[in-house]
Amino acid sequence: MSPQPQAAVGAPLSRVDGRLKVTGQARYAAEHDVDGTVHAVIVDAAIGRGRITSIDTREALAHPGVLRVIHHENAPKLPYRENTASNNPPGRRLRVFQDDEVLFHGQPVAVVIATTLEAAQHGAGLVKVGYDAEQPSTDLHRAEPDKPTTYARGDAEAALRTADVRLDLEYRLARNHHNAMEPHATVARWDGNKLTVWDKTQWVVGTQTELSAVFGLPLDSVRVISPFVGGAFGSGLRCWPHTVVAALAAREAKRPVKLVLSRRQQYFGTGYRPSYEYRLRLGSDRRGRLRAMAHEMDAETSSYETFTETVMPAGQMLYSTPNVSQAYRTVPLDVNTPLWMRGPGFATASFVIESALDELAAKLGIDPIELRRRNEPSEDESSGLPFSTRRLRECCTVGAREFGWHRRSARPRSRREGNWLIGMGMAVGVYETQRNQAQARVRLDADGTALVQAAASDMGPGTYTSQTQVAADALGLTMRTVTFRLGDSLFPPTPPHGGSQTMASVGSAVLDGCNRVRRQAITLAVEDRESPLYGVDAADIVVRGGRLHTKDSPARGETYRRLLARNNRTHLEALGSYAGAAGPRRHSFYAYNATFAEVAVDADLGLVRVRRMLGVYDAGRIISPKLAESQAIGGIVGGIGTALLEHTVTDHRDGRIVNANLADYLVPVNADVPEVKAIYLDGEDREADPLGVKGLGEVVHVGVAPAIANAVFNATGRRIRQLPITAEALL
Amino acid sequence: MHPFSYTHVSDTRAAIAAGRRGGRYIAGGTTLVDLMRETVERPERLVDISGLPLDEVTVTERGGLRIGALVTMAEAAAHPKVRSLYPAISQALELSASAQLRNMATIGGNIMQRTRCTYFRDVTAACNKREPGSGCAARDGFNRTHAILGTSDHCVATHPSDVAVAFAALEARVHLLGADGERRVPFAEFLLRPARSPHREQALRKGELVAAVEIPALPRPLRSGYLKVRDRQSYEFALTSAAVALHVRGGVIREAKVAAGGVGTVPWKLPAVEQHLVGERPTDALWAAAAQKAADGARPLAHNAFKVELLKRTVERQLRTVGGNQ
Repeated sequence: MSPQPQAAVGAPLSRVDGRLKVTGQARYAAEHDVDGTVHAVIVDAAIGRGRITSIDTREALAHPGVLRVIHHENAPKLPYRENTASNNPPGRRLRVFQDDEVLFHGQPVAVVIATTLEAAQHGAGLVKVGYDAEQPSTDLHRAEPDKPTTYARGDAEAALRTADVRLDLEYRLARNHHNAMEPHATVARWDGNKLTVWDKTQWVVGTQTELSAVFGLPLDSVRVISPFVGGAFGSGLRCWPHTVVAALAAREAKRPVKLVLSRRQQYFGTGYRPSYEYRLRLGSDRRGRLRAMAHEMDAETSSYETFTETVMPAGQMLYSTPNVSQAYRTVPLDVNTPLWMRGPGFATASFVIESALDELAAKLGIDPIELRRRNEPSEDESSGLPFSTRRLRECCTVGAREFGWHRRSARPRSRREGNWLIGMGMAVGVYETQRNQAQARVRLDADGTALVQAAASDMGPGTYTSQTQVAADALGLTMRTVTFRLGDSLFPPTPPHGGSQTMASVGSAVLDGCNRVRRQAITLAVEDRESPLYGVDAADIVVRGGRLHTKDSPARGETYRRLLARNNRTHLEALGSYAGAAGPRRHSFYAYNATFAEVAVDADLGLVRVRRMLGVYDAGRIISPKLAESQAIGGIVGGIGTALLEHTVTDHRDGRIVNANLADYLVPVNADVPEVKAIYLDGEDREADPLGVKGLGEVVHVGVAPAIANAVFNATGRRIRQLPITAEALL
Repeated sequence: MHPFSYTHVSDTRAAIAAGRRGGRYIAGGTTLVDLMRETVERPERLVDISGLPLDEVTVTERGGLRIGALVTMAEAAAHPKVRSLYPAISQALELSASAQLRNMATIGGNIMQRTRCTYFRDVTAACNKREPGSGCAARDGFNRTHAILGTSDHCVATHPSDVAVAFAALEARVHLLGADGERRVPFAEFLLRPARSPHREQALRKGELVAAVEIPALPRPLRSGYLKVRDRQSYEFALTSAAVALHVRGGVIREAKVAAGGVGTVPWKLPAVEQHLVGERPTDALWAAAAQKAADGARPLAHNAFKVELLKRTVERQLRTVGGNQ
């Protein structure tokens, strides 16, 4: 942090953009009105794999209002330059309308452009596509995996053979879709060879780079704008085919085009959390100290790209384990490519590891929290590095106290209320602290207000608010006099708004830029003979409420406005930057939590109802407590969904997603969400980044599902190793 | 959405005339509009009947209830007579859909609503109900939520309504208005099992309009209630459900009305369960024994076999809830 007093950082402030959002003035992707806009609707492949043999567009083109139908037979060849810089996984990315091949059910095969949305929708239904269909392979359980990515320390197999206690457990985790409220949408406009795109994205820079690669344009010919995102949970971390389709349609129609994916199309038009089959074998001594863990993970990916996520680190560093082996295999299927979803990798691994530890605790008769204490590592055993900060024990202690863990009976089925069996469970969560290179432009105007700009994004966590808090304190201004703007590729570049890295990365750049501007002002003052601060040591000066003064005598000073006016300066400006996690690693950086759940299970009817949840977080400094609490509630609600409800179902006969709508893909509703409480441990991580934050948007989701599954076991004695936990598993 | 014409009618005669010319009736529109957006339904002419005088709840001469077809779900659920005479109906309604939908959707539309089978609602899938003769993708597809009772080789889709289960249990009658006047059809005959023609869902003649649902007077005291089992706690269709009404006098069950939802191609009346109860004294053992008959004749599919056991337990639980722990 800066030497500045903290007024905004750490204060429980409401969202600065709250009023815009609740009054409908915040404009989301599809709400950008561009003159002359026409509408585009994608025609989706109705087979799971094969070739397009014919496309008949006559009826569609005859429908009033339909302007064009673009498909592989009439689309221009697009450059599709190699691009590894936009979160494109290794492989050959889907190229829209470039050939007759169908790689998955729902792939875009044509787009209808019309003067009205209704005409475009109806026209899409009139396009007749003939196929030569092949049998798609969509079943993770039956398909051939790729070669594994492996990790080993010690000899897990040998240690398993000699361990006092052994568990061999198989888990299945369903595919989950992000299902944010705002649908993915793009408005595209060409001005000559310059492309402007209003898009739902978590990374304007990544989308800009991808569009320039696809269309073979110089980077500065593409501008991507995305000031508001109505939830994304990771689905906006790539530039999806529909964004390219919108840009292509606009170019061909020579008109601005708006393209909004239907809810159904989100299920194959964007990514998802892949399903897993995960076998975990673990061995311990009789006191519960882990001797070995052997992980075998199979995860779905597409036939054309190899998507991987960080499912391995938790098994290497969470607990002290001398012998670890891991084999992580992607399984290519005739599906669209997955993408990161909240707590990616870690949430999956934590369900398995934390369920297994609970099982070990039950088997040995050791309290689950005590078992975790016994396996607390003194360093990151995967790297030998010390932890920057790791307060997991404290999370457990505080959580146990707050939740009333002592009231839990270790014996399952020991608490009953009417038809309901009551159980408590806990799990821990971990997520890596990510941070990357970022920049921010800071401008202090002569009127004493500041404007801060960074490409960035705010998909809901409150980037607008928290960055304003950082800037206000570093500049010594009030929240009201600082404006933070984001979501434009013209602004200084930032990393993807995902992986809980925005505060650490963008925030550190904002801090740097604001520090530079404040120091410019201080230098101006101490060198200005007419300033009351003339000759004062710059280090003795702080700024508060837009007024520079010495630390010791607040009366001696002057405002930014006076200072700039007297010096005939219209503004002061600086480009702040942050280098990210550069240089050799000296520490192991992670955020942690302990999550507690109390559930009621109607064992006769197979119903699970979550009654209480608590998360205790070690996430470093909390910049914005009110937003952090909101994040925790969201992470827990998402975890309830993963644990009990969410499951994207594919029909393996033809590869179609059967429940591609919000009536059949269940997410929690208000009635499913009980009392949720979040506690953030006070503190900071000085090693992690200049702000001392560790990231919190992901870690709040990790550990929720296993805490619930463990509570179900405590209630019923039934160990469910499959997500979601549904009635049929409990009957 | 396919293009369509729209007319608003203000008297039933005009409505029926428009219906006979091929118009489709629309009131709350909570199902039909969704299905039109998905192009599952492609009506050419919509006839808006929401202005017709079919929106009253009245007590019949014999002490039953007549619920007009245009009474909204919310209004019916809140009606004092419905609440006091037939709690199973108000409970079924309140456990349906969402508050917003209940404010729009009508009783007539509710019993006319179409299945939630995901293959029915996906126009690229085979579905005999949507496109006769195209096949049934659900039989060998993902059929966790599908029916185990009343199915045929041609269709395994459930009827989604909750309140229709209560109507079936209580042996309601549907009042239908046609060109030849009004007729009354027992609820059990109004909704059709799929057999070989799953696209025919109601025993309606061309242009006929649902005017009301009449619940017969039943001997008092009558205790009734509705239990809905579902994955999430609100805003979801039933995995299983049970409507139960019991008339107990002198310590003996004199009348038992039981039906199940979420399991049948139509709301599933359970006469075998009813017969097991009548003339007996209420005991936990009786509830359990009667409920064992709830799934008689069930033909489970690959993913819904759990419904056989769940149905029995649902019925047993609701018998005990209504009839009491003995």
